[in-house]
Amino acid sequence: MNFRDQLSGFFWLVISIFVCVESIKSGVGTFRFPGPGFLPFWSGVALGTFAIILVATDLLKEKVGRKSKNLSEGKKWSNVILVLVSLFAYALLLPRLGYLITTFGLMVFLFSLIGKPRLWIQGVSALITVLATYIIFYVWLDVRLPKGILGF
Amino acid sequence: MDIFHNLLYGFSIGLQPANILACFIGVLMGTLVGVLPGIGPVGAISILLPTTFHMSPVSAIIMLAGIYYGVMYGGSTTSILVNIPGEAASVVTCLDGYQMAKQGRAGPALGIAAFGSFIAGTLGIVGLMLFASPLAEFALRFGPPEYFAVILLGLTLVTFLSQGSVIKGLMMGAFGLILSCVGLDQISASPRMTFNIIQLLDGIDMVPLVMGLFGVAEILINIEESTNPEILKTKIKNLFPSKSDWIQAKGAILRGSILGFFMGILPGGGGVVSSFLSYSLEKRISKNPEKFGKGAIEGVAGPESANNAATSGAFVPFFTLGIPPNVVMALLFGALMIHGMRPGPLLLQDHPDIFWGVVCSMYIGNVMLLILNLPLIPMWVQVLKVPYRILFPLILLFCLIGSYSLKNSSFDVIVMIIFGIIGYLFKKFDYEGAPLTLAFVLGPMVELNLRQSLLLSKGSFLIFFTRPISAIVITITIILFITPFISYFIKTKKKHKHSTGSN
Repeated sequence: MNFRDQLSGFFWLVISIFVCVESIKSGVGTFRFPGPGFLPFWSGVALGTFAIILVATDLLKEKVGRKSKNLSEGKKWSNVILVLVSLFAYALLLPRLGYLITTFGLMVFLFSLIGKPRLWIQGVSALITVLATYIIFYVWLDVRLPKGILGF
Repeated sequence: MDIFHNLLYGFSIGLQPANILACFIGVLMGTLVGVLPGIGPVGAISILLPTTFHMSPVSAIIMLAGIYYGVMYGGSTTSILVNIPGEAASVVTCLDGYQMAKQGRAGPALGIAAFGSFIAGTLGIVGLMLFASPLAEFALRFGPPEYFAVILLGLTLVTFLSQGSVIKGLMMGAFGLILSCVGLDQISASPRMTFNIIQLLDGIDMVPLVMGLFGVAEILINIEESTNPEILKTKIKNLFPSKSDWIQAKGAILRGSILGFFMGILPGGGGVVSSFLSYSLEKRISKNPEKFGKGAIEGVAGPESANNAATSGAFVPFFTLGIPPNVVMALLFGALMIHGMRPGPLLLQDHPDIFWGVVCSMYIGNVMLLILNLPLIPMWVQVLKVPYRILFPLILLFCLIGSYSLKNSSFDVIVMIIFGIIGYLFKKFDYEGAPLTLAFVLGPMVELNLRQSLLLSKGSFLIFFTRPISAIVITITIILFITPFISYFIKTKKKHKHSTGSN
């Protein structure tokens, strides 16, 4: 029995029920006059059906005697969590502090994540990255990057 | 004569300085992405897509197309030198390419991969030119039922030909359709699954979705690991294959080109499937199959030719039917839509500059790639030495800028991060992002054509079976769909019979 398939199968079943309920609220309509909820409803039904098949086929499989892959073995989960937290913080701070400050902070953090280089190397690398991308995207490609508290 | 005039017209567009520059940037970026493991053409195109917003539609597609076939060229370099495929379509090249490198024949391996890709790419473009116009005229006979049937076949094929479980692929296809429905209904304009979030009224944007699913997720997976691939320490010499290499490889190049082109046309086909099929074919027909896996040059020439020819083949349904046959073409589809163009049979009539400009730029691009890939191989080898701790922050930054620049909104950045988490979990739980992405991009077309068909038929599904084209296509889809379930039940029954018999 594959625990991951069981877990994901039940997850998708819950999602499919949720989608079907939301679609009914939008109005499924009939086959003659399909409503806005028609495609999401039937896609939700399909998703739920496949989820049930996934769980059922996994239950019916004979035990092979093999351990299912350990998700965390030998993996640096902390790196993943740190990167995600930093990205969310970046998204929230970007409009307030502006591109230059927020990106500099993010780059210093990300460059330090693997290998632990010296602080001044992180700082210089981050500065070069920020300035180069500012010139390429803001000046050359005319991408509207947020100005924030610095005003540019 | 028509084709000749169209070609001249196409070259007049392709040779414009802006388009030559776009082509060069595309193929250079594509080669770079192909050389670097960890980011594929989907990630690269999704990251660079926002940079095309300020270009003309022709230049945008030329650049993005350049990335696509450029990746196929570059992917072979890491496969041969490091035994790590630069991207999925070069997996098979590792089997014999790396062995050739270990035998001191890295040069001929790299050379035959580059020349084979060039020949196949060129033949593929010729095929695109010859097939596109007649197919576009044929496609004008398509109505909503035909379009629905073809798209459904495409989604089913992508699911069945993807590498993971078929059931999971089907689930991802269904989920992609659901995600495409978020926002305002295109017929009644009523909101669906927006949860009172104003930004969701426009739906989920394709760019942050694919950037998150493929770009951010790939980085999250890679930073968990601590592997440092070692480059084979061998002198790369004699990049030009010898006469005997050409004699051995020429059949493989030709067969790979034809196989790759037709596989590229099929939805779900593409570089990955065609490269595997080419390898299997070469091994099967070879007089010395035992040489495969030990440095057979046909094992490099065939798959590399096939994956390049497939990129040209993929443009056939894209331009003529307006149906992207794989995820990369789905992104190009999205790019054209963003530029206000609708791929399809009318595109060739209304915007011949786009079709012929792209076709001719592909000829130019193939020449550029041959020049980039042979003499610059030592430079690409240096690129491989850039530590991942420097690369991944830069890739993340491009993703962040790309997502933000769509609507100058942090909301799209958050959407990208959320899909990054989803893509990361997909890899952990063995789900594929490709069927989801294709279904997401095609969802609006599926819905529109399905609802129009049902309105025409007053709710009867028989409309799909009474029209000959849709009847044939739907029948093929149904057969494809039920075949794995039938074989599963037969297998289970046999096992049960066997275990009962032995008791």
